Amino acid sequence: MLNVLLVDDDIEFTDVAANIIEFLGHQVSVAGNLKEAYEWLDSQPFEHILLDFMLPDGSGLHLVDHLKKMGSTAQVTFITGHPSVKGILAEISGPKMDYLVKPLQREDIEGALSGKTKVKKVPKTSAIKRHFDCLIGESAPMQELYLMIERVAKTSANVMLMGSSGVGKEVVASAIHKASQAQGQLVTTNCGALSKELIGSELFGHEKGAFTGAIAKKDGVFERAENGTLFLDEVTEMPIDMQPNLLRVLESKKVIKVGGTKEIPVNCRVVSATNRTMESIAQDNILREDVYFRLAVFPITIPSLRERKEDIPLLAKAFLEELNTENACQYVWTEAQLERLSRFDWPGNVRELRHSVHRAFIMSDPTGNEIQLPSTFESPFSLSQKPSNNVAAGQTIENVEKELIRITLEKVDGNKTTAAQMLGISTKTLYNRLHAYGDFAE
Amino acid sequence: MSSEEIITVNKLVHDARSPLNRISMNAELIKLILENDMPKEKGIQAIDKIISACQECSNTLQILSSQHGGKQHG
Repeated sequence: MLNVLLVDDDIEFTDVAANIIEFLGHQVSVAGNLKEAYEWLDSQPFEHILLDFMLPDGSGLHLVDHLKKMGSTAQVTFITGHPSVKGILAEISGPKMDYLVKPLQREDIEGALSGKTKVKKVPKTSAIKRHFDCLIGESAPMQELYLMIERVAKTSANVMLMGSSGVGKEVVASAIHKASQAQGQLVTTNCGALSKELIGSELFGHEKGAFTGAIAKKDGVFERAENGTLFLDEVTEMPIDMQPNLLRVLESKKVIKVGGTKEIPVNCRVVSATNRTMESIAQDNILREDVYFRLAVFPITIPSLRERKEDIPLLAKAFLEELNTENACQYVWTEAQLERLSRFDWPGNVRELRHSVHRAFIMSDPTGNEIQLPSTFESPFSLSQKPSNNVAAGQTIENVEKELIRITLEKVDGNKTTAAQMLGISTKTLYNRLHAYGDFAE
Repeated sequence: MSSEEIITVNKLVHDARSPLNRISMNAELIKLILENDMPKEKGIQAIDKIISACQECSNTLQILSSQHGGKQHG
């Protein structure tokens, strides 16, 4: 069951749509304008928002901005009756955003709420295999990951996903949910985005009047993921003093709503994720040991992109195929471009690769079919992790010294006095070296 | 057709889509009611809404026809 917010100013439409959504087994709240929608969002979390593009007091995009500021992970599906808006929505839609064009049918709503409309974006002719409908890669580390997903999906064990930022932890959580063939929904919440005051209500729900602003009874994520999967993203960012409450639920499989007294039995697999390392979890006192062992019954470390470089061409092709399909384009990669993408380290992992492909797609000449890669892929993250030198076994001392002088001069914009100080040699010695190498002669 | 006329036609097309959307959704609701053996009163209400939306859609098309139909064929 999903908690759905329907925002549209056509009351007759919202009446009948709410009936259908309830019939499909979801809980629905209705807002006729942005103001009412904000009030609903402040009072309870929603997993899915069906949103009219043009509302009496503003655009649906204002609500998307509001959601971003709130740190909401809700899926948004725009509903529009303006054919001209369709193109704009196709541009901005992404993994968390989709769109439908009126007149709607029941299966449109059913598809949007189950996330099936996104599948339409995958080209029908794609030769790239998507494991569990979402994971791409045929490298050995990914084969190992697929095997782990398959094995753990057959059990009800809680899984902790580890890996650096951008490796696709949410996608792996979705793969586990899919492979488990669970009857319930995959419910996602980001523990890092919730304030200390709201986290109890988000996880366990609250009774009406439990605290100021609790205008209605609300189910927590454990209840909403009944017979399904609960994905707790950034679990290590949960305040340590809230963790005993989480432990109690994990041990007893029962929740008590904030302000309530009744124990409610819950049944869901918990998949949690963190980008902290094992050492950091152990040393920094961010996760209680007992909570860790309950959550990480089956820990999975997702390989970084640099550990599976052979998958880079496949991923780049898949991302470009998706963009081509969405925008009715025919761009193709050259072998040299794929080779260049494979050589880069991608410290931001698959997310950074996708971002770079998207950027290249936007920058490419619309009259041709050749994708244009930028001269550099550097992001703030790649800069911080860029190797400081190119020293490798087998190089001569002279070459290493030459390279060191070159990068030092580059760093100080060619100022030889500063460069000499940084290198720990006199300015005269630096000039002698430069003279000897010839390359840097003025 | 001038840009002003295009805007007016687009608005009228949008106005026609809203009742079409209600017709489609109410028809889906009736299907659900019949498939699940639910009380027929709710189904009758949905049918009334479809009839009313058909009338609204027809009025919008009439405006569209009277304002722009002549020019297309003239």
